[in-house]
Amino acid sequence: MNLTVNGESHEHAGTIAALLSELGANPEYTAITVNGDLVFSKDWNNFKFSDGDSVEVLTFVGGG
Amino acid sequence: MKSEVRNQKSEVGTQKLILGGVEFTSRLILGTGKFSDTQTMIQAIEASGTELVTVALRRFNRDKPDDDLCAPLAKLKNVKLMPNTSGAMNAKEAVRAAQLGRELSGSPFVKVEIHPNPHHLMPDAIETYLAAKELAADGFIVLPYIPADPVLAKKLEDVGCAAVMPLGAAIGSGGGLSTAEMIKLIIRDSNIPVIVDAGLRAPSEAARAMEMGCDACLVNSAIAAANDPSGMARAFALGVKTGFAARQAGLMPKSEVAVASSPLTSFLS
Repeated sequence: MNLTVNGESHEHAGTIAALLSELGANPEYTAITVNGDLVFSKDWNNFKFSDGDSVEVLTFVGGG
Repeated sequence: MKSEVRNQKSEVGTQKLILGGVEFTSRLILGTGKFSDTQTMIQAIEASGTELVTVALRRFNRDKPDDDLCAPLAKLKNVKLMPNTSGAMNAKEAVRAAQLGRELSGSPFVKVEIHPNPHHLMPDAIETYLAAKELAADGFIVLPYIPADPVLAKKLEDVGCAAVMPLGAAIGSGGGLSTAEMIKLIIRDSNIPVIVDAGLRAPSEAARAMEMGCDACLVNSAIAAANDPSGMARAFALGVKTGFAARQAGLMPKSEVAVASSPLTSFLS
């Protein structure tokens, strides 16, 4: 199915963990929103993407 | 009244900074932006002795993984994270950013900052108030970055903020304590810690803020943009400590006229 991940089109049919692995993101340092809603890490295993979902993959950067 | 309360606290030896029930020995909070590289940032954090640092939330960049920031920060055992809400244009976005920050950091601390105008980065008082109120009710330890406005500061105290963080000058400007008179008014009435956030350039300004009665200073650009960030971090730690010690010792009263230090009578007579 087609997702929008951080603003870019991305074919993906698996779990959140698999998506992070594809992106090379460390799950420990990553937060996820789907269509604007936070998906808690405890719910990642049971989460199913739907076609057209807009996914944001976020992490900490330096900031004041 | 406030100064009496403060003096009493210091007399019984309560010298720790308390934010939302959490005690801190260091009264210097560091921002982690603008450092040339992660190693320089970590060294500056260690040199400063800080126990609380701010971080920002951004999209993961697969070309430039930021594990190099998260992993080294996680190793600093005495340093707590305070995610900020930078990038949020209104209260709704700030609340969402705070929730993401808490999920990611596991930390209850949040620096609410909402500054929609990129030219001056002045905080939006109304949206900041709305976000802070909601987040405090949701159990966050809320430290809002605010204009140096004593009325707003009091309202933020009333809705359960753990501290208020008035700006000394515009973010990253190095303008110093340009709002000193307003910050004094905030301190006078505040029952929660007052932290100068933004604008400080020199450790002497941090010392002055503490002498005035501020409870802590939040510094980023002045350290990150110094020739030697670790050296400047150490200098700011000393500035904050010096100013706090001076306030506890109590500055002498000012006089309009000279008051001689040496006896003026019985000279060679």
